[in-house]
Amino acid sequence: MPHNPQAPHGALHSILLVEDNPNDVELSLSALKEARLANEIIVANDGEQALDYLYRKGKHAGRTTPNPAVILLDLKMPKVDGHEVLRQIRLDPYLRLIPVVILTSSREEKDLYSSYDKGANAYVVKPVDFEEFITAISKLGVFWAVLNEPPPGRGPS
Amino acid sequence: MRMQDMPFRRKLMTIILTTTAVVMALMSGAFVTYEVVTIRKSLARQMQTLGEMLAANSTAALAFQNQDDATEILSALSADKHVISAALYDKSGHVFARYPAAVTDASLPAAPGETGYVFNQGRLTSFSPVIQAKSDRLGTLYLAYDSGAIVSEWMRASLGIGAVVLAIVLAFAYLLSRHLQQQISHPILALADMARDISTRRDYSVRAPELGKDEVGTLTTAFNEMLTQLQDLTRSLEEKVAKRTAELEAANVELRRSEAEVNNLFESLPGLYVVLTPDLVIKAASDAYLRATNVSREAIVGRRIFDVFPDNPADSDATGETNVGASLEKVLRTGETNVMAIQRYDIRGTDGTYRERYWSPVNSPVLDAERKVRYIIHRVEEVTDFVLRKAEKGAAGEELRIKMENIEAEIYRSSQQVQAANRQLEAANRELEAFSYSVSHDLRAPLRHVDGFAAMLAKHVGSSLDERGKHLLGTISSASKKMGRLIDDLLSFSRTGRTEMKIGPVDQDAVVASVIAEGQFDTAEKKIAWKIARLPAIRADAAMMRQVWANLIQNAVKYSGKNDAPFVEIGCQPGPEREVAFFVKDNGVGFDMKYVDKLFGVFQRLHSSNEFEGTGIGLANIRRIVARHGGQTWAEGVLGQGATFFFSLPPTLVDGQAPRTT
Repeated sequence: MPHNPQAPHGALHSILLVEDNPNDVELSLSALKEARLANEIIVANDGEQALDYLYRKGKHAGRTTPNPAVILLDLKMPKVDGHEVLRQIRLDPYLRLIPVVILTSSREEKDLYSSYDKGANAYVVKPVDFEEFITAISKLGVFWAVLNEPPPGRGPS
Repeated sequence: MRMQDMPFRRKLMTIILTTTAVVMALMSGAFVTYEVVTIRKSLARQMQTLGEMLAANSTAALAFQNQDDATEILSALSADKHVISAALYDKSGHVFARYPAAVTDASLPAAPGETGYVFNQGRLTSFSPVIQAKSDRLGTLYLAYDSGAIVSEWMRASLGIGAVVLAIVLAFAYLLSRHLQQQISHPILALADMARDISTRRDYSVRAPELGKDEVGTLTTAFNEMLTQLQDLTRSLEEKVAKRTAELEAANVELRRSEAEVNNLFESLPGLYVVLTPDLVIKAASDAYLRATNVSREAIVGRRIFDVFPDNPADSDATGETNVGASLEKVLRTGETNVMAIQRYDIRGTDGTYRERYWSPVNSPVLDAERKVRYIIHRVEEVTDFVLRKAEKGAAGEELRIKMENIEAEIYRSSQQVQAANRQLEAANRELEAFSYSVSHDLRAPLRHVDGFAAMLAKHVGSSLDERGKHLLGTISSASKKMGRLIDDLLSFSRTGRTEMKIGPVDQDAVVASVIAEGQFDTAEKKIAWKIARLPAIRADAAMMRQVWANLIQNAVKYSGKNDAPFVEIGCQPGPEREVAFFVKDNGVGFDMKYVDKLFGVFQRLHSSNEFEGTGIGLANIRRIVARHGGQTWAEGVLGQGATFFFSLPPTLVDGQAPRTT
């Protein structure tokens, strides 16, 4: 049973998971399932797909659902990497307010700096330990999709 | 033009003429009023006399009722053109005779009025009684006089005269005031002219002529005194300026002379010196340098050093420009002197062809007040002869010299090799960095998957799994976690070696206190008796030194935690070679000295992780950090009795003398 209340304005915002590694996708989905969130989880397998979804292009042309409540963004991805996705989101007047959480294996200072510099809302290093991983992901989901009030007026939805 | 803005002369003139005209007008008014009153009085008297005379003459005509006589008498009035009308009334008040004959009854009073005269609407009318024998009244005589005409005739005449008089008076007043106002305006205007002259020409030596002792005279005197003061002031100011200018001039001459002297001194230095700006433009060069490089001063000053001295185009392996450039760049970046290894840097001879030349360069910064590099002094020593003259055969007595030179040549070759190795090392370091980044990201991902999927499998098969199965899955999980920790530690170790050091003052007492305060010790560890000596302040990378102290203190706490009376001592003591050694001593499990060499190795442990947790990276990190600061690390221990870990720092990094431990 979904236990989270309806998101503001009646529509339940989704969670956009941007992750190229299918194993990580599976683990993350399993973790989010564990958190028993009612929000729809959209998976983008690289930066390009994520931008297509956000800009309603390609196979997401004509998307009518509102913008996601949060974007969980991996950094190292083929084609368009996480840094570039973040940069483009923050430059776009209709997308720039969406919370973006960097979810990565890298603990390197330059990645941390660059992410916060480009406007990431949070930076989470994926724990190796699966229990910790589950806890981290479900906490993230509950916080950003349920506890956190999303910014108002996310552009046309 | 407003009065205030008028020239002084015109102002005076206007005042005088206006005053005169107003006085004249007032006087004329008074005169005219007086005259009109007088004229009217005399007119009335005149008419009364005329009336009495006519009344006396008319007595007979009235007494005998002779109307013709009466009319005759009245007609005599035609002699005076100002008489408008006249009438004789009989006793009963009826008109008996009239003048002129044509006048109608309507224009005459209907009945005789009271005796006397009246001015009314420009007319003077009068009634006189006609009396016989002093008492018998026979009738009344009426007379009407055109007094208005008389007055206006007089007025016309006197206005003409008045205008002429006024003109004459004003003309006189003008002429007179023109002369008199000069008495006042001339000195004031002279003063004003002079003030204007002084302000434009700045000539304070002129003086205004003193024309009198009145207020203007006083003003002129004051003005002249002021000029005198101004003149004195200007003169003293000019003298001061002249004196200061002369001093500056002298100082300039002295400066130029000493500048030339310094220049001369610099240029005469026996060594090979070039001064460069931060843009690597040549600012100055010593004569010796010019001789050694076959150039003239004019040809190189103001140009970039590498434009003047390009690499030998014929030598494709030439590295001179790259190496010197890198060294100069390093000096600019760090603000510290950079001593270079011997360089081959070919120089054009007088004929324009390149000659093989070898140099030993040193680049030193000249810092300004803000510690920014203002100039770089590039000093070289030419070593071409020494490098080229390898093992040439010499006389028997020179054997030693040749040996020496061989050794020196060998040193040169080694230094070239060291340089090459350094470049390779830098490249390797960059590769290592890329490698660790990839390790951090790519190796951790599959590990996470191993642990994750093992956990999911355990959940999936759930209770159907037997003990052995659970054990196997548990091992997979714990092994992957362990590897995750090892990778993390390896990364931190690699970062310790790569991170750029930020050397600054470090208050070690504060670092130790905060490490202990923030340490999460369990109950057994909380019983520790601490003995902490005061530590000297040092210059080091603060974050790294904190890591050193944190690792040493955590180790001491961990390994003494199982002792019933744990004891940890922190202090410092002079090391064997003037350096200062810091130590952390505990009474924990200790170690066997035969394994002392293994202590500081990566992932080297003397205890199993069942006994004491840890991966064995802490001491390796400490050794690396201390080595990067130019210090040493060592340890002493007795199995079961405790251990002491030491690290030393070079005396240059430690403030003051290390105090003795107590």
